[in-house]
Amino acid sequence: MYFDVNGKRVFATTGGKIFDNALPTVIFLHGSGLDHTFWGLHSRFFAFRKYSVLAPDFPGHTHSDGPPLTSIESMADWLNDVVETSGAKDISIVAHSQGCLVALEFASRFRNKLRSVSFVASGLATPVNAALIKAAENDPETAIAMMLSWGFGSAGHLHQGPIPGSSMVAGGRKVMRSNVPAALATDLKACNAYQNGKMAAAAIDCPVQVILGEKDRMAPRKAGLELAEHLNNPELHIIRESGHMVPQEAPDESRRLLRDFIFSNNPSN
Amino acid sequence: MSDFYEFDTLSLHAGQTVDKEFGARATPIYQTTSYVFPDTDTASSIFNLERGGHAYSRITNPTVGVLEQRIASLEGGSAAVCTASGMAATFCGITAILSQGDHIVASSQMYGGNISLMKNTLPRFGITTTFVDPTDIDGFSSAIQDNTKLIYGELIGNPGLDILDLEAIAKIGSEHNIAFMVDATFNTPYLCRPFDFGANITMHSVTKWMGGHGAAIGGVVVDGGNFDWGATDKYPTISEAYAPFQGINLWEEFGPSAFATRIRAEAMRDFGPSMSPMNAFLLLQGIETLSLRMDKHLSNTLKILDFLSNHQQVSWVSHPSLPSHSSHELAKKYLPKGAGSIVSFGVKGGREAGKAFIENVELASHLANVGDSKTLIIHPATTTHSRIDAEALVAAGITEDMIRLSVGLEDVKDLQSGFEAGFRAARKFAGG
Repeated sequence: MYFDVNGKRVFATTGGKIFDNALPTVIFLHGSGLDHTFWGLHSRFFAFRKYSVLAPDFPGHTHSDGPPLTSIESMADWLNDVVETSGAKDISIVAHSQGCLVALEFASRFRNKLRSVSFVASGLATPVNAALIKAAENDPETAIAMMLSWGFGSAGHLHQGPIPGSSMVAGGRKVMRSNVPAALATDLKACNAYQNGKMAAAAIDCPVQVILGEKDRMAPRKAGLELAEHLNNPELHIIRESGHMVPQEAPDESRRLLRDFIFSNNPSN
Repeated sequence: MSDFYEFDTLSLHAGQTVDKEFGARATPIYQTTSYVFPDTDTASSIFNLERGGHAYSRITNPTVGVLEQRIASLEGGSAAVCTASGMAATFCGITAILSQGDHIVASSQMYGGNISLMKNTLPRFGITTTFVDPTDIDGFSSAIQDNTKLIYGELIGNPGLDILDLEAIAKIGSEHNIAFMVDATFNTPYLCRPFDFGANITMHSVTKWMGGHGAAIGGVVVDGGNFDWGATDKYPTISEAYAPFQGINLWEEFGPSAFATRIRAEAMRDFGPSMSPMNAFLLLQGIETLSLRMDKHLSNTLKILDFLSNHQQVSWVSHPSLPSHSSHELAKKYLPKGAGSIVSFGVKGGREAGKAFIENVELASHLANVGDSKTLIIHPATTTHSRIDAEALVAAGITEDMIRLSVGLEDVKDLQSGFEAGFRAARKFAGG
């Protein structure tokens, strides 16, 4: 669905069901350069199990108006505007990579709105390789290739995908190309600049879950474990064989983990 | 730096997860109609497109799925759907986005089956086509109507061999928000990937060079993932609620693979033109050696062109690699490795000489196929294109004396000897 946030058109998939703010809401946040389709094998699942779903495109990504936001803090503010505009309540956030930094910031500042947060493939910070930022600024196609190459594990490199006949890597490339040209570089610079992870993590008081990919080359396991160390009593899972793109590389396992965690901490009747 | 696998590696490995139970190196043939669900929640979620998985082999099958992902990887597409034949792929691609009252602008120089589908069959369902000379770019533009929803053509026209100017036609499609679908059978992804030049959908008869062995019929539609189905209201089958799946909006939910998902959700379910697992396995064996075979096809073609061009009984020879061909410059642009292995030529003495040649040529097989590892030969006007009228024959660039040759992988010296047997029989009609 489309809605207006601060005069800009925002798109969010609702997982194939009409958004109903009387139901508990699961909000899915995508990572740098990606969009709502990243969560396609999770969002529809929750929408058909008595949750309302919002998987927004961040500004400047695929269907949402630009320009892209330049800091993690401003993305958290924007997310709060999305929540206020939609009337979402009893919220569980499920976030991937850059989305996790936004979730950290949002969850530390708007604690009363949350029932749970699931962090997928992230650390407390996301230092970004200077060469990648430079490529994103000057040669987005090369930057997209670098990110997809580092992001996906072996299954992705062999063009496998959870949906028969589909290629995760090729699909990701098409999505990243559909954003406004500056989106990827802006995202990466915002990630690189974010420094408040430790403070934010310590301030979160709702149930939290950390899901990591064993073979993640973009947010290495060590960084993910550091995130878990600074959160309050997190549920921690490491998915074998998965790279950074956990929701696509291991959709069944990650969906099961998210289901059990959210059903338990934010039940829907 | 990125570290993606190259073409030859993908030809061998893409799409396959080595079987965890037995470690089978070859892709197993999952010769099954259906799949046991672990629980009701999994079953319902597969049916509701909430997750991937297999329910019934008319819709998806693990062996066919490997072939689909392998072709998607080679073509640079976001998703692929295999079908029982190339014609099924064309039909599924068209009906995924066109309905009664819609219109196609298509190249006039195409395989007779494509022309017949668009000229004779689709009008019965309210879908009409305007055919345009593939070299007339302005013609494509001026043929567009308010209800035009597809531009369609073969990159290498069959059998005239004119090359479609992909970038120019893709630009027209983009300007009008019209999807551009390319029959890429004659080029294969090894010679050209049409998505790199702006095409939005491709299809292949994988029966041909992709398989190469002539042992299995099959087709595939590949979703380029690069068309904005939501930018216009022309494509409600993709961008509006689809009732059979609880009102799903495929464009919103599946983005770059929305078109392929529509084919899977509708055409495979309602029409059922599925590829058999056995055929998928055979076609996978062919694709493993695609680049090797194509290189040999191309080198043999150049030698045969030299032979035919210098033969006193040959009245004309056509191939885009020849400077005399009207598409020579386009061939250099889009097909730098080579312009395929189909050659058209005429035998002096006209139709009767051609008939005598075909009936007496040795080694080359007289049959209605192309792209086999074996050399194939046919008279299009009386066979592959016999169901189209005289006007369409001219538009397709087919003459009465035309012989279509699909150059195979045999030793060229042996092929030339076999051709000489045909030429000897044809000599009496040429006055030689």
